[in-house]
Amino acid sequence: MGLFTYNIEKYSPLHLVIIPSVLLVISLILLSLNTAATGMPVTPGIDFSGGTAVTLVTSDSKEQLMTTFAGYPLIDVGEGVNRGKFLKFATMDDAQYKSLTTVINQKYPDAKVDQIGESFGKTLQSQAVIALIFSFIGMSIVVFISFRTFVPSFAVVLSAFADMAMTAAAMNIVGIQLSLGTTAALLMLIGYSVDSDILLTNRVLKRQGKLNEKLQGAFRTGIIMTTTTIAAVIAMLLVSWFGQVQIIMEISAVLLIGLIVDILNTWLTNAGILKWYVQKGGGR
Amino acid sequence: MNARELKALLKDWRVAMLIILVAASVAAIYFYPSFNPQKGVEGNIQFGLDLQQGAWLQLEFRAEVIGFTTDRPLDEFVTDLSKKLDTEVQVIDENHLEVRKYYTQEDLTPLVESAGGKVTSYQQGVSRATADVVKRILENKINTLGTKDAKVNTLTGLNNVARYIRVELAGVDMNQAQAIVGKQGKFEIRIQTTGNQTEHVLYGDSITSVQNPSQAPPGSNTWGVGFTLNEAGASAFRAAAIQYGATIDPENHHLQMLLDNRTVYSAPLSKDLAGKVQTENIRQLFASTGQGKYGMQQATNLEIHLRSGALPVDVNVAGSGSVSATLGEHFKQMSLLAGILALITVGFVIYYRYREPSIVLPMVMINASEIIILLGFISLIRFQMDLPTIAGLIAVLGTGIDQLVVITDEILHEGKVPSPSLYLKRLARALSIIVVAAGTVVIAMVPLALMDLSTLKGFAIITIMGVLVGVLVTRPAYGRIIMAMLSK
Repeated sequence: MGLFTYNIEKYSPLHLVIIPSVLLVISLILLSLNTAATGMPVTPGIDFSGGTAVTLVTSDSKEQLMTTFAGYPLIDVGEGVNRGKFLKFATMDDAQYKSLTTVINQKYPDAKVDQIGESFGKTLQSQAVIALIFSFIGMSIVVFISFRTFVPSFAVVLSAFADMAMTAAAMNIVGIQLSLGTTAALLMLIGYSVDSDILLTNRVLKRQGKLNEKLQGAFRTGIIMTTTTIAAVIAMLLVSWFGQVQIIMEISAVLLIGLIVDILNTWLTNAGILKWYVQKGGGR
Repeated sequence: MNARELKALLKDWRVAMLIILVAASVAAIYFYPSFNPQKGVEGNIQFGLDLQQGAWLQLEFRAEVIGFTTDRPLDEFVTDLSKKLDTEVQVIDENHLEVRKYYTQEDLTPLVESAGGKVTSYQQGVSRATADVVKRILENKINTLGTKDAKVNTLTGLNNVARYIRVELAGVDMNQAQAIVGKQGKFEIRIQTTGNQTEHVLYGDSITSVQNPSQAPPGSNTWGVGFTLNEAGASAFRAAAIQYGATIDPENHHLQMLLDNRTVYSAPLSKDLAGKVQTENIRQLFASTGQGKYGMQQATNLEIHLRSGALPVDVNVAGSGSVSATLGEHFKQMSLLAGILALITVGFVIYYRYREPSIVLPMVMINASEIIILLGFISLIRFQMDLPTIAGLIAVLGTGIDQLVVITDEILHEGKVPSPSLYLKRLARALSIIVVAAGTVVIAMVPLALMDLSTLKGFAIITIMGVLVGVLVTRPAYGRIIMAMLSK
């Protein structure tokens, strides 16, 4: 790419891992603080906590909407570009919900309404957690089987874990909630993050040559992989942002954050551990 | 590249397979099962409820499946338990029961113990068999109302207990959907035993068909509704009528029809019918409602009750949603735009890196062909494409391009075009990286694909399919094409 070079010859493995380690610790602290406050590492959205989400396109202001829905447990009115509005309501009983849908049908017939009951949300949440755990374990098993040595495999799994932890912490900071869509995005990150890690490990352990050259070669390939994916994700983010497609907007935002921290974790954390491993006499 | 090389390239099985699959996919999208030019680029692809007008309802069963042990004979225990719980108790297998009324585990445990049993496990929901019955009833009901594009799915967990059932109705709004499905009634026929006491005879699921209101005998101005019972229903009806004496003394043993435990009809057996029931199972029954206009009005109501209330288990709405036609169409256009823009952006970034049209063009085309093959697959299996599926498609585009970059860089190692034998070695090495990466993506998506509960199932299946198509078809073909391109 030629924009910036990757030369880690002069840095010791310890230097390389120090920045990501500090970030990982901060992320884990943020996640545990959030767990203490909300019961989940990432604040659950309506999909998991229950409630009603309404998407509508209207020129009515936020204040007008708040007056219209004053009789209902309105939590939040989000505003997008192009007059899009995202309303969130807390859980309500059947009668109130029916009257809400009647009001929406009359005033904003073009709305999209999604309602999740509290117990259904809880079930979805536990399933999502199970899915994340199983995915992570499954990924670790594949990685360990394919490399068959502890340190390199551990480095890949650790970077994937750091990717998810940092992304989750960033979600809390930016204000993206955990929904079905963002859970899918986190799962997708497992796949993306492992991609460049496997390339790196493969190049370093299975090729002949100087360590530093192999690292640089891997970086050249890896950074194109990540930047092309980032470019595709940005395109998706922009379209969904202007077009008010919330689920795709959330998925692409999470992927974007994840891909950026993945650069850090692959080329500092994973590369640092691999360098230490090779210098210590592992590999060839 | 000259004509002979092109011919050789097309004869390569990897390239041939890719071309055949792309052609088959285009055919699947536009010509299977029929050609619909009025639909334009969409072809025969089916859309989920967030991309077209419609509403969905997720219903939760108000019942539970319990594991149990008892020292008493099973029959006695179940009869006793059913009385104590004041509801129907079904035996699923030798150590599982279905209780058709909602109790929390804390409330249920002492009641089961008082009947001489022990609760070993508790789960809200119904057995797979009951869930299937509910599904059939809902489907029937939706069909009779003329809503064609409807889908009813029971969501059964790995332990064979279904907690939810999901109904998707295209082309209706939320209020209509709730009217169709939400107001589920539970229909029951009971028989009067002594005084005000009644006993259960059958539920609405034993009714196989309901006729329109008619006069019997014709022209008499006496109205009623004919309905048909299935064999099991008819024999339950006969057994109850004989057991409680309705065949001998109809006047004191009225038959009652209840909708949501509210009596909607109560009448004695006619003399004629009482005699017939005494000797054989009668499947064709007629509920008489009275004379003249009043009778006709009553018959119309009764017909609706007979048709609509049929669920053996109570349900409540656990989740619901709807999308308007305008917003659905808008989402569809935006998704198409996002996909095309993502592909173009990827093309630019790749061009910026390699500066070589003969690499960039095949890459982008391979990427696009992956998407076409997936769309063909989606169309072929009549899968309903929704927003998460589109996110999955774009994710496939992203991983796809990643792996094409790996192949290109492995082969172009040190900037030189390799000899054929070295080339194959390098391609194999690139593919080994790709297979591991693909394996992790597939494994990461398997839990979502297996979980019935969420709308993310489609996303996971499409991502897995995309990875498989990539590893098995498009990436090997790309390796072959790029070789031909570079060696000119």
